[in-house]
Amino acid sequence: MGNNTTPTLINVAGVKKSYGSTCVLKRVSVEIKAGEVIAILGASGSGKSTFLRLLNRLEKHEEGSIIIDGVEVSDKASNLAALRREVGMVFQSFNLFPHLSVLENLCLAPMKVRGLSRTKAVALATDLLLKVGMSEHSHKYPHALSGGQQQRVAIARALAMEPRILLFDEPTSALDPEMVNEVLDVMKRLAATGITMLIVTHEMGFASQVADRVIFFDQGEIAEDLPPLQFFGESNNPRVKSFLGRVLQPGV
Amino acid sequence: MSTSAKVCAPPSKGFKLNKSLLKGLTAIFITIVVLFAMEAILKFFPNPISPNAKELAEAVWVTVKLTLAAGAVGVVVGTVIALGNASNFAPFRWFCSFYVWVARGTPLLLQILFVFFALPVLLPFLEFNDFTSAVVALAFNIGAYNAEAIRSGLLSVPKGQIEAAHALGLSRFTIFTNVVMPQALRICLPPLVNNGVSLLKDSSLAYAIGVVELSNAASRIQSATFEPVPVLITSAIIYLTLTTGLTQVTNALERYLSVERR
Repeated sequence: MGNNTTPTLINVAGVKKSYGSTCVLKRVSVEIKAGEVIAILGASGSGKSTFLRLLNRLEKHEEGSIIIDGVEVSDKASNLAALRREVGMVFQSFNLFPHLSVLENLCLAPMKVRGLSRTKAVALATDLLLKVGMSEHSHKYPHALSGGQQQRVAIARALAMEPRILLFDEPTSALDPEMVNEVLDVMKRLAATGITMLIVTHEMGFASQVADRVIFFDQGEIAEDLPPLQFFGESNNPRVKSFLGRVLQPGV
Repeated sequence: MSTSAKVCAPPSKGFKLNKSLLKGLTAIFITIVVLFAMEAILKFFPNPISPNAKELAEAVWVTVKLTLAAGAVGVVVGTVIALGNASNFAPFRWFCSFYVWVARGTPLLLQILFVFFALPVLLPFLEFNDFTSAVVALAFNIGAYNAEAIRSGLLSVPKGQIEAAHALGLSRFTIFTNVVMPQALRICLPPLVNNGVSLLKDSSLAYAIGVVELSNAASRIQSATFEPVPVLITSAIIYLTLTTGLTQVTNALERYLSVERR
């Protein structure tokens, strides 16, 4: 867990979000420090993915405020541009651009948004592909890759913007079981580099090993916010116990 | 021992030459050669084609120009209408739906007559010559069909693609040009080509307002010589040559876009 001198990077205060008459997030408040790795757990429909998507404005909150590195998350164009540079996202369904090669997928945003030259973008992309173990596939198109490979490319693509914060929305949920680990390994290595990570996941083992904090969502609220050791071992919160009872098999 | 150094070539900017693209280029080349040699080719045809080769060849060019001009304007119109249909601003959507409703629900012949005869009466500054009127009417008509084709292409791009692009910080313009359009194009190209082929054939309706395009010329020669069979068969052959050229080009383009890049 980040110590007290580390500045707060993400400040969420009293945030509310509803779709029509259904309230999916009710008054969520949380602070996240630079460099923290946060696992976000909760049953489906608990609001955890919505929470993540509010952080980079893929969804809009109705009440409260979200401040990331001193910038208010809003529709103001300059704020939005700054936000999207700072916050990268990895999706459950990878969402690589199918008409672009792996290398082009990585180069597009650095060239168009950060204004890098082609040569520099390619150098950056090559370096990142090496880090996620995908350099041999740089000229392939996404459809020629396995799910695990696509997700590793998607992580590299998000990193190419050199964000301070990386959001993962169930990054391994769409993968075949044998490919989960190759993606989790990349994420573990990433967590050690000091980048701030928020990970919505159902991988309890991964969460307990890698996260500094576990934030548990239940019915649109943060029902628990603890370091993993306490969360998985000592929490007496009945909602946590009920959730863990459902997701962890007996004896695990 | 050797370390395998992977050299990454920069992403290519332009087209990669491959088999399907070569085929397409060949089809374009042959069609253009046939167009330019049309008069010479028609000279080899029996009477009454041979003596009228020049007139027919000129009329073919009018047909081609009508098709190209109306086709180009029609694609722009179709794109604008398709985007308007997807707009958040309700009056835009109403206007676009109204336009599509009118353009698809009335006969093309009526539209051509309307632009040439009725429009100048209603709005005097919109008085065009016969050729321009035909282009305007054909573009108006094909634009509605193109809009539907382009709309289906735009809708085919998964929402996740656009979200990922937003998350990367790409601007709306870049998202449209670099993410949505290339993917939508693959879906809307086949129907757009079909529309283009229809347009080539439908351009014959410009005959009604006196544009001397292929059908008009054929009809004139036919009525002057009283030999409908060779004249009409010849014009059919010319139409078939042009439509075949068009479909060949786009088949090749389709294959080129789909190879390795689904």
